[in-house]
Amino acid sequence: MSYQQAVWAWNQHLRAGGVTPWREWLRTRPEGGGTDDPHVPAAWVPPGAAQLEFVRLAALLGAHDPRFVRLADLATGRSGPGRGLAQQPLWWPPDVPGRRFGAPPVDPSQVPAEELVRVGVGALVELLLAVPEPPPRVRRRSRTARWRSGYVVEGAPVTRSALRRSLAEQGYAEGGRRPRVLLAVEPFDDLLAQVWSARVQRGAAVRWHGFVRRWAGRAALPPAADLPALARSWADRVGVDRVHVLVGADSSFDPAAAVRPAGRREEGVAGPEPEVRDLSPAAVDVLRRVNAVLSVRVAPERQRSVLPGLVDDLARVAPPGPGLTVPPPFQDWARSRAERIADELRSGDYPVHGSLEGILPRVAGLRTHPSRQDALAVVLAACLRQVR
Amino acid sequence: MRDRSRRVLVHVGTPKTGTSFVQDVLWLNRESLARQGILYPADRFDEHFLAALDLLELPWGGLERQAVGAWDRLAARIRDWSGTAIVSHEILATATRQQVRRALDSFGDAEVHVVLSARDLVRQIPAEWQENVKHRRTLGYRQFLDKVTDPGRNGELASWFWGVQEVPDILDRWGSRLPADQVHLITVPKPGAPRRLLWERFAAVLGLDAAALAPETTRANTSLGVPETALVRRINERVNNGVLRNEDYRLFVRELLVHRSLSLRTGSARLLLPPDVRSWAVRLSESWIEELHRRGYHVEGSLEELRPDPDGRAPFTDPDRPEERDVSDAAVHAVVTLLEELANVSGSLRAELEATYVELERSRSPWFRAKRRLRLEAGRRPAVGRALAAYRRVRRSSSRSA
Amino acid sequence: MSRVVYLHVGAPKTGTTYLQDRLSLNRGSLARHGVTYPLGLHQSDHFGPALDLIKVPWGGLQHDVEGQWDALSARVRRADGTVVVSHEILAAAKPGQVRRAMAGLEDSEVHLVYSARDLARQIPAEWQESIKHQRKVGFAGFLKQVQAAKRTRPSLWFWRVQSLPDVLTRWSRGLPPERVHLVTVPQQGAPRDLLWQRYCRAFGIDPAWAPQQSGRENASIGAAETYLLRRLNRRLRAAGLTSEDYRLLIREVVVHQTLARRGGTRVTLPPAAFPWATEVAEEWVEWVQGSGIQVIGDVADLLPVPPPPGQPWANPDRPPRPEMVDAAVDAIVALALEAANRPDPSGNLGARLGRMARRLRPR
Repeated sequence: MSYQQAVWAWNQHLRAGGVTPWREWLRTRPEGGGTDDPHVPAAWVPPGAAQLEFVRLAALLGAHDPRFVRLADLATGRSGPGRGLAQQPLWWPPDVPGRRFGAPPVDPSQVPAEELVRVGVGALVELLLAVPEPPPRVRRRSRTARWRSGYVVEGAPVTRSALRRSLAEQGYAEGGRRPRVLLAVEPFDDLLAQVWSARVQRGAAVRWHGFVRRWAGRAALPPAADLPALARSWADRVGVDRVHVLVGADSSFDPAAAVRPAGRREEGVAGPEPEVRDLSPAAVDVLRRVNAVLSVRVAPERQRSVLPGLVDDLARVAPPGPGLTVPPPFQDWARSRAERIADELRSGDYPVHGSLEGILPRVAGLRTHPSRQDALAVVLAACLRQVR
Repeated sequence: MRDRSRRVLVHVGTPKTGTSFVQDVLWLNRESLARQGILYPADRFDEHFLAALDLLELPWGGLERQAVGAWDRLAARIRDWSGTAIVSHEILATATRQQVRRALDSFGDAEVHVVLSARDLVRQIPAEWQENVKHRRTLGYRQFLDKVTDPGRNGELASWFWGVQEVPDILDRWGSRLPADQVHLITVPKPGAPRRLLWERFAAVLGLDAAALAPETTRANTSLGVPETALVRRINERVNNGVLRNEDYRLFVRELLVHRSLSLRTGSARLLLPPDVRSWAVRLSESWIEELHRRGYHVEGSLEELRPDPDGRAPFTDPDRPEERDVSDAAVHAVVTLLEELANVSGSLRAELEATYVELERSRSPWFRAKRRLRLEAGRRPAVGRALAAYRRVRRSSSRSA
Repeated sequence: MSRVVYLHVGAPKTGTTYLQDRLSLNRGSLARHGVTYPLGLHQSDHFGPALDLIKVPWGGLQHDVEGQWDALSARVRRADGTVVVSHEILAAAKPGQVRRAMAGLEDSEVHLVYSARDLARQIPAEWQESIKHQRKVGFAGFLKQVQAAKRTRPSLWFWRVQSLPDVLTRWSRGLPPERVHLVTVPQQGAPRDLLWQRYCRAFGIDPAWAPQQSGRENASIGAAETYLLRRLNRRLRAAGLTSEDYRLLIREVVVHQTLARRGGTRVTLPPAAFPWATEVAEEWVEWVQGSGIQVIGDVADLLPVPPPPGQPWANPDRPPRPEMVDAAVDAIVALALEAANRPDPSGNLGARLGRMARRLRPR
């Protein structure tokens, strides 16, 4: 049996939901499949090791689904997008003459997770774009307090989103002429990770490392993370005493208590859509890879229209878990920058709930990069959700 | 059934084999070519580069936004054309088999020819490392060679390098579904051959009139010597980590220092392969030649030209341990160049590049005449010559790996 | 007489940049204590008036400063209390120029202040200074010139400003010795503030009247860095840089902001020159002790301190090449940044170029 035939046969095995690894399949196949040489269609292009291994892993998770075969064909019919390793052929017994040129063959079970993620992202993009473009969403405006003063939430984007939703659900109205301002402060590394997540959720394709490096090289902070500037600009409008600095999620402070005097509305108000979801680092990493491919595949409007559905799925398939911290070369920068923010907030005389020490980066015990294995799990799960 | 009156010639690489020159000629003469039944489908100079980005799904620093749908647009124009069409970009060499299938399928019923131009590895390998250095990488020469010669080809650098350089594999990926006589290999002549020879080979394969189309026979050599390359690498080490923004690096290091100053220095040692890598490359080339011979492609030139010259012409100078005296000379030269630029002694780079880019942006129809005028005046006015050289480099650098 | 003028005439390389900057920074506070440091509208120091007095071409600047000495004298005469005039190139004044200066101040009680540092540090420092003024001579050549030149009624610039007995003889003619003050620069290892305190004592001011510290100093550069500069000077003559460009790009961007911050190998006197330098210093000490002038500090500060025996001497004319390349790379980066940060003459060109450039290649 030729290489081409063997790969074809293994591909058929995987399409049918088989999960036998390649080397084992090669060894055991004669018992199950006999010695007759399969007929390979002339136009068939053999996939690389990464594509087939991705299908095998997907089969382990979701072969029972009748639409699994569609995912399998999507993954094997295209190559991984963007930059990475060349497509590698599958390991082949050394004593059988094979190709002498091209990328070296690899045992599919040894393909680096990075390459599997790349294949998965390609398939995921196909699935996303296969869905017809939905009609533009009508944004429902959240109700704002016009006469009485309401509230405004600023600061760490993920925390801010959650806080807005929670307050809206309790019936508090946003906005107003002289709102109370709640400034959500998180440990500096988490704050940056939240800004990164928010940007990726809006379509950015930047890596975590690159994102941190870029800001560490500048004097300014990303606007959402420039807490002193946010506090100052609100204080100029509404007064220092109305700018509440909320440090840490676990502080005993009840945000509702701060806004209660602003006027609780008796009737319930529908909360605004959470603008920024709490995604796991690996989910954000998958999303930024998807963004990179979408940027070369579709116009920005189309990208914006497919993202919310994917973000929903990613939030479902991957629990947030512990966050990220900044990579080692930037930890000193993060610490001193955080100290400066704390000093500036302290000297502003705002009402502070919790200790400003809470803005110091946590660093210890946290990942400095999203895990590739986690990203692989996320992309597999997202593909299986999307194919349904 | 293939329609034999409709042909597509797809030129897929390799880098540093005169590809930009050919693309310049096709772009500048596309109107007269169309009248002769030859289509070079492009409304902007980098149209085929964009189409390649689209086909390869390759993000490119934001440029990919303009590449959305570019391959399909290119293919649609080719399907609508009744004669010969030419596609040319050297990053196409990296396409996977699936991407090749999509490309070839997109041409409809036309007869497809694949064209690859190739130069011997002993010249290609050092050139590729220098390109890396010019793109603010800090990898040492030996580290680069180790990555490239490692049979495991781990990592993006080796993957990209062999993706654009491994002639038998590129032709296998692109040509395995085509008859051998529809696969054309153009070899780059050895140093010392007449300069027009390479162009004549291209013209023969692409069916162009060599004499009528290429008024120019010389191109400035912009390769760096060993101490100059070592210097640029040290500059890279200093300016990475956000010291110099990318656009400033491009303007002041790549354009001003490398292209306008350091590469014009004469007398520096040229970058060669160290003896061990050289003999490795020679052996590898032999296996390529043998394989290519066996496959029976149409060769314009000679497979012998892929065989590296017998060594011993010049001793190897190690850019990782350069003669510090020579590096210091290059460094002083570089400081003086920057001072002159800053003091505006030799004309402002910004202003000059501005003029160049303005011309580029007018790339629809007036550009053709503007370019021809520039070319006519290039011999008389050094400033115009410099602007033209800058244009070419802008043009060429769009073919670099990322 | 209600006006006391302290005329500080040098020498160069004795902390004068710091002193003058601190005086300038604290002008208001000093004025409240009756101390005037008279500066014109666009002046940051007394370089212009001093150059006008000593009439040296100075790269074409001489013509720009015409009339400035008289203007300074007029400003001094308008002041009451204590007035400080300070510039190190005044040390080079010829007897006729000194007479002219003194004539302009004849209704004041003039005190002459001269600051001095030992020759083992002054010779390398003056050599570097000459390189920073676009000269090309090597250290060995410079030292040879200095050793061969006459130190009394000197024609060589070095001795015109550094020859202690000669400068003081020229400038103190007609002044009683108690109105002539010699400030010695402490040897290495002294507290940073000591020299400033000595200057304050010389001028009769309380250091507390000038609380704001200066960040400026005319820092020295290393041997490899000086060598790089010499090489550049040789090339720049052909390149046709204006002296304005040289001042901004070389002295400010390359030397001051870049090379001076590198902390390279210090340029020192070769061991063989120490006996000669010590001999000259001993002559000076003898002269000072015989003259009866007031010494602020310690005359022993003027004696060169030889290096510990056995310590190898680094020849500044042959610095290690890698160090020089390293310095050059720093200069390249500094200049590229300077170029990048220049304001764009044609408005939004930067944005446009940036956009075009982004096409070329990411990362």
